[in-house]
Amino acid sequence: MTSTPQRGLSNGYPSRPLPNGLHTPLSRRQASLTRNGAVIGGGLGAASAAGEDEEREEDATHALLGQRWADAEERIATLFDRDGRILKRRKKAASLTAINGPAVAAESAKTSAPPKKAARQVDDDYGDSDDEDEDSIAEKDTPLKAKGKAALANGLLPHAVQSPAPAVQLTAVRSNTTLSSGHAKSSEEVRKQLEEDKKAAADAAKRSFQTMFYTWENDRDAMLEQQKLDELDREVENETSAGNDGTGAGASSVANHGTLGSADLGASSLTLKHLIARIDAKRHLVQASDNQLRTLISEVRKGRSKWASEDRVGQEELYEAAEKVLMELKAQTEYAQPFLNRVIKRDAPDYFQIIKHPMDIGTMLKKLKTMAYKSKREFVDDLNLIWSNCLKYNSNPDHPFRKKALYMRKETDKLTQLIPEITVRDRAEVEAEERKMNMADADESDEEDDAPLASRGRKAPKKGVKGAPSSARKAPSVAVDETDSPAPPDVKPLMHASTSHLRNEFLRADSETQDASSAGFSTPPPGTATPLVNGVHGVGSQPDVMEVDGFGGQQSVLNAPQDDPDEDDTEFKTWKQVTKKDRAIAATERNRLFQGERGERLNIDEPALLRSKAAMRRWMRQQKMLQSQKGDAESDAHDDADAADSSALTGETLAEGIEKDEDSTLPDYYNPLSAIPNLQERWMWTTDSAGHAIQQSEKWLRMHPRERFVSSSSSGGTGGSILTRKMEANMRQMQETRKVCSKISLVKQMQLQGQTYQNQFQRYEPQPFVEQDIGTVVVSEEGPLIAPWLNRAALQRSVGKIFYHAGFEDFQPSALDAAVDLAGEYFGKLVEGFKVYREQPKRMVEGEKAVGKFSFEEQVLHTLQEGGLDLENLEGYVKDEVDRLGTKLGVVHERMKGHLADLLRPALGDHAGADGVGAFQDGSEQFVGGDFAEDLDEDFFGFRELGLAAEFGLENLSVPLHLLQNRMQSAFQAQHQGPTTSTGLIFPPPEPYEAISSENLGEMVGIAQDFFRARLRTAGVKGDEGVVRLVEDEELPLKQRFPKPRLPPTGKISSPRKRPIREQQQAAKKKRKLDVEGRAEVRLGGLGKPVGALKLKMPPENGVVEEPGKGETGTAAAMISPESIAGN
Amino acid sequence: MADTRAKYRTEIQQMMFVSGETGDVSSETTTMIENIVQQQVWEMLRRATDLAARRGVRTISTDDLIFLIRHDKAKVSRLLTFLSWKDVRKSAKDSDEKGGGGGDAGGVDDFDLAANDPTLGTGPSVGTRNSKNKKAKVGLPWDVSSFYSEQVPEREDEEDEEAEEMNAATLQRLKQADERTKGMNAEEYLHFSECRQASFTFRKGKRFREWAGFGAVTDSKPNDDIVDILGFLTYEIVTLLTEEALEVKAAEDALKRESGGDEEKRGRKRRREPGLFDPPEEARTPVGPKHIQEAYRRLQKPDLKSRYMHHIPKGNWRRPLKLI
Repeated sequence: MTSTPQRGLSNGYPSRPLPNGLHTPLSRRQASLTRNGAVIGGGLGAASAAGEDEEREEDATHALLGQRWADAEERIATLFDRDGRILKRRKKAASLTAINGPAVAAESAKTSAPPKKAARQVDDDYGDSDDEDEDSIAEKDTPLKAKGKAALANGLLPHAVQSPAPAVQLTAVRSNTTLSSGHAKSSEEVRKQLEEDKKAAADAAKRSFQTMFYTWENDRDAMLEQQKLDELDREVENETSAGNDGTGAGASSVANHGTLGSADLGASSLTLKHLIARIDAKRHLVQASDNQLRTLISEVRKGRSKWASEDRVGQEELYEAAEKVLMELKAQTEYAQPFLNRVIKRDAPDYFQIIKHPMDIGTMLKKLKTMAYKSKREFVDDLNLIWSNCLKYNSNPDHPFRKKALYMRKETDKLTQLIPEITVRDRAEVEAEERKMNMADADESDEEDDAPLASRGRKAPKKGVKGAPSSARKAPSVAVDETDSPAPPDVKPLMHASTSHLRNEFLRADSETQDASSAGFSTPPPGTATPLVNGVHGVGSQPDVMEVDGFGGQQSVLNAPQDDPDEDDTEFKTWKQVTKKDRAIAATERNRLFQGERGERLNIDEPALLRSKAAMRRWMRQQKMLQSQKGDAESDAHDDADAADSSALTGETLAEGIEKDEDSTLPDYYNPLSAIPNLQERWMWTTDSAGHAIQQSEKWLRMHPRERFVSSSSSGGTGGSILTRKMEANMRQMQETRKVCSKISLVKQMQLQGQTYQNQFQRYEPQPFVEQDIGTVVVSEEGPLIAPWLNRAALQRSVGKIFYHAGFEDFQPSALDAAVDLAGEYFGKLVEGFKVYREQPKRMVEGEKAVGKFSFEEQVLHTLQEGGLDLENLEGYVKDEVDRLGTKLGVVHERMKGHLADLLRPALGDHAGADGVGAFQDGSEQFVGGDFAEDLDEDFFGFRELGLAAEFGLENLSVPLHLLQNRMQSAFQAQHQGPTTSTGLIFPPPEPYEAISSENLGEMVGIAQDFFRARLRTAGVKGDEGVVRLVEDEELPLKQRFPKPRLPPTGKISSPRKRPIREQQQAAKKKRKLDVEGRAEVRLGGLGKPVGALKLKMPPENGVVEEPGKGETGTAAAMISPESIAGN
Repeated sequence: MADTRAKYRTEIQQMMFVSGETGDVSSETTTMIENIVQQQVWEMLRRATDLAARRGVRTISTDDLIFLIRHDKAKVSRLLTFLSWKDVRKSAKDSDEKGGGGGDAGGVDDFDLAANDPTLGTGPSVGTRNSKNKKAKVGLPWDVSSFYSEQVPEREDEEDEEAEEMNAATLQRLKQADERTKGMNAEEYLHFSECRQASFTFRKGKRFREWAGFGAVTDSKPNDDIVDILGFLTYEIVTLLTEEALEVKAAEDALKRESGGDEEKRGRKRRREPGLFDPPEEARTPVGPKHIQEAYRRLQKPDLKSRYMHHIPKGNWRRPLKLI
């Protein structure tokens, strides 16, 4: 923004004054004037011609810019937002013709744009070449031309120019209000236009960003430079803040009142210009003094700049301009970087021996803030001092800093022209002078009435000195009137006026006319009076600047855009320049996120970079724009769509004005945050009205589908892979066979051992294979459940199944783990290979679809091949290891079953029939010859020893197993109700006899009743309803049973049957008791039975105690009791 | 060990003759074959010893050896057949002592062609027919029957179709031999049948033990079964090598014929496809060491399965010797 006015002005105010270059503007102007064929006869004509001339000067640079734009335009083939600009240019063209009109006598020519444009183009070209020509011949011609020009100019130009002179920055409060307003507009216009220039450049750059891809390489530099700049700013701020206060206070305290000039109101007086004009007009009606008015206005007006000071006339303008210049220079970060801070001795030890007066931009800023500059000259001197210092110190012509310094000096030359020629003076002094002038000129200046207030400003003295200002001053307004288009056309002539005035200054300086008027014009300190003098002095003080660069500098003013000292191509440079700041900011933001020396770690405390709405909108806009551009390029048929687009676009931008729209120049891809489409809804962080975060996930939670972790057929369904089903069938088969095996081993065991125990054999009860599914899992994401331990467990289970399928009944956990790890790794590799083949770049087939390099089958086959497998292998596995294994298992199972059956009933084959009767149908040799002992393979009967085997041709003499039925029936059969053992029963077993109890005692045979009763009493077991039941020996638990009587080989029964120990003890106890009783009985025998009956009543209750002894006493007692009962 | 190379020259020549090489094989070739075979035997013994050690046993068992060749199912099948017949022979010898002499080396090939063990001339003795002995099946630890704790007696009716399938290769070989012997006169046939009995181990137990490095490679005294199996396997190796070498040579001859003209018209190496103008057998050049070398290289080519996970980096890794 600041650079723009400078550029625009530099056109009108061409080239830094050289001693001998002074003629240049002059000659150029002359040439243009003659070219136009304008007859410079009077002030009016001069003014218009000057305006026209100005216009053309301006156009020259326009042409340069325009050419570049045109290039860009052609490339991108779009009109992109340039309408406004074009319009403006057209307007200018129109105004140009309008102004030219009278002179060229083409009054009607203010209409159509295109021809005008062309005309202007011609002019531009001409102007360019003209410039160069003039430049080249300049030196020779100077004096003469200057003289001539001076002569010519003397007549009219001074007048024409003088009044608008201070122009641009001072914004003109003049006696002529229209002029002043026009003037203000003109400067405004210039600035605006230059802004536009810049904006357009940025736009062009932006467009190029869409077609070019820029990387981040330079961001770091940009960031560092930006940091430096910021630091500098801060530093300056810190150092000057204290001083500022002081000066500010001082300034206000010395408030000295003078005229109500706009000068001290600064540029902002623009806003009040009507008011001021009005007040000026009605000055006589206003009661207040000038002083009062001025304070009033200065208080009222807004946006008063920080430089403004009541008592220091001209300070605001000067400093504002100076600051702008400095900022502009500083912004040339590519070049300005070495000059930002003062040179430190550490960096360059000998610096201060060579450079006596160090200077840098930072110091200048500080000086600025402390109001150290009194005039433009001081400021410019300081600036040039920086560059010359650099050139001086870095004397090596190849030194990079030299290049930078030269560039900066060029820039400085361009920019300093913006600074008005102002010398800051104390108001008191000014006013004193003013008063003196007023007194002197009181009578002759009638026009003062027109602008009393303004005239009392800083500029007032000039008027006083001027010889014949009236006509000249009026001239522009007349010109304006003529063109009868009020505002816009005004701009040009007025611009011209101001600039031409400046030129006239040169002219005068050159011609050494230096009369009183000029002296007055440039106010008090004569040294600084004119820019010419300024320039000469300023430059003269640094001779090498002149020598090295003077001429080039002049040209570079015009050629700057093309003349890149850098080796970069233009686009890249534009990119760098335009986006520097934004890139720096972006890089800083990114940089902040990292910590550590080399930024290798994330800084977790740093707030995240967030997308901003504005940035998103910008992105959307850009997308739309690109789309619409494309659409335009394609066809106009999509008008509707475009319309819709544009409507959508406007709808979108509704919110734009509300928020601060930080317009970044960076392309989308540079800021990934804002360039990415929105997150899926489920991932968004949203808050409700109360500011609490809403758990988005809840909405998306779902149950993980079941049975993802079981092989599909194991859950009982018929689905699932055939292989899985087969394998599981095999495993079930194995379990069955193992069951049979366990029976066989049990039988064999019983054959070997004499005594078997119930708990000796573990029953083999295989559990069916059940694959446990995972519990309820809630997930919010698509795709498989990723839980390594879970998946590993699932794989482990599968591997375990395969182990089992391979015949391992059980296995060590470590073996399983190892196999699982191997399998996992192998599958990982398989998948990796699969991925590689799958992700081969696609190729285009003749169709429009992109096709992968490998078809799915190819992918699979290649992957298998890589993994050391092929289809044959797999098929072979399925065939051999699964199918054939299945049949084998079936065969083995049948064999096992047959074997078991043989073991149990060797003779009973299939032909034996259900009850084994058939076994005898073949002659029953086994039973006759004992052949059935074969299977046991032992000479049980000793036949072999006896030689019977040989004699009878028996081959097998072992005891048939089913002869050992007893043991087997009791132990094995009891718990294994196998089908083989129960098939022999065709008749239902008879109902067991009813147990003898107290209820059915009476039904028993009479003789036995007493016995049973006694037994009941002694050994009866209390049943359910008080029924006493006798327990059979067979029903007793094994250990309590009486051993069966066995006849020893001797045939002699030696000992009575042994009783269980407990019984014996109890019997013994009872015996003693009965002895006592018996004796008592004997004693009481004669007395009568009742006693005994009484006594004997007890036993039933004590029956448990009394054991069914077999001894004689027991029976005696038993014999007794029934009687006594009966007797009762 | 100075005369290492000479140790099995005759046997190898005989074996090669049975396998189809009719010419007079140079000692260079036989030496090469012998070295190859020896290397294979050493390797087998070493691995078997490792396996046994893993079980915690110092002596290797037949299972260890069979395990090494488990992937070649045809070979395993042949070996099992051989072993079972060996059992039969042994028990027959036990049952009637008289069967001695020719019992082991009976050389009676006419017994039962299908059931005969064709690889070695040591067919079952005559006595087996009338004895009640039946061919006992040799169980392998990875057979289904060993899944279970109980061993079940074999049934007659369940003939393993697998074994028959495996026998296909055996039958093929038998057929070849049959074709070859068709045109032989009695003398030639006698020579052929004598050659069929060539073995590294048969009645050369001591020599074989030395040669195979018992005591060095494996520090155990292997039992006879091991030696017999090794004898069988060495025979197999020589046969395989010879067949492969003959193929190599045929290809070479074909190439020569094509390029070098028709003066070498000896593409036919097999006697069973005699051409009218075949040169007499003696005129054919025998396989040379280079053919053997090429055959060996071909046989050593790793099969797909052994590339399992070969893409995992394993550093300086040498592919282990492949047992053929």
